[in-house]
Amino acid sequence: MVDALGEIHRVLAPGGTLVDARPDSRVPAYVERAKPRGFQRFGLVNTSRLELVNDRASDRAIALVVREGLFKRRRRGRFWHRVPFSSLADLRKYLSEHLRFVHRAEWVVDGATRKRYSNEQFVIRRAVRYELLSALVHHGT
Amino acid sequence: MRTVATDPVGDVGRHVPAVSSVLRPLPLVELRGWGGPPLVRGKRVLDLGCGDGRLALGVAPLAKSVDGIDPDPDAIAAAKRNARKAGVGNVRFAAGAAQHLPYPDAAFDVVILSWTL
Repeated sequence: MVDALGEIHRVLAPGGTLVDARPDSRVPAYVERAKPRGFQRFGLVNTSRLELVNDRASDRAIALVVREGLFKRRRRGRFWHRVPFSSLADLRKYLSEHLRFVHRAEWVVDGATRKRYSNEQFVIRRAVRYELLSALVHHGT
Repeated sequence: MRTVATDPVGDVGRHVPAVSSVLRPLPLVELRGWGGPPLVRGKRVLDLGCGDGRLALGVAPLAKSVDGIDPDPDAIAAAKRNARKAGVGNVRFAAGAAQHLPYPDAAFDVVILSWTL
């Protein structure tokens, strides 16, 4: 990962921008039912352990190249993104196959409520974090 | 004119089957999340880990040029097909690894790692 960041630094013009954007594993994703106006929270979904480890490794790699003087942190933030599903069954199927998330949601509504609305539209609302870094002129060897 | 979505999920993308990988924000939504069009306008952009070219093709109308690279040759073939279909002329795709980028020094103004690291 650090090798790749070194290559990125090489192909970036001095002062150029590196955008690092990825799902934010530090916060859970939310299962929500789409209502005529707004959304109703049905549960939350955590990131799988493996993905947490990968994300931390990426964070360490970025921190290292910043310490080495290849990049300077410029700005960071987070935005939310909704992934739509046509039913609760579709959403569950997605969770069962997706590697980033644990395969089961933690529900905050009871089973009867889930059943009542199971054929309605649902979304997974997930956070995406981003960071902009500037390429610095590197004087190291 | 301001439009109002009647479908509460209508503005967050189309419905996708559970097995699909098309689950990321629309390119311009993602770009807006980071800082908006000025970030890439008139710039030489590299989309590293471009997959089927979703983001590269999305920012191409704003950028001077866009290169997309991905280690998966099938994804690159799909990206090239998508570029042809979209009629985008300032995008090039290549298969390759991030550790050995086939570009000269200082070739880009912006490098995007979107859900790649």
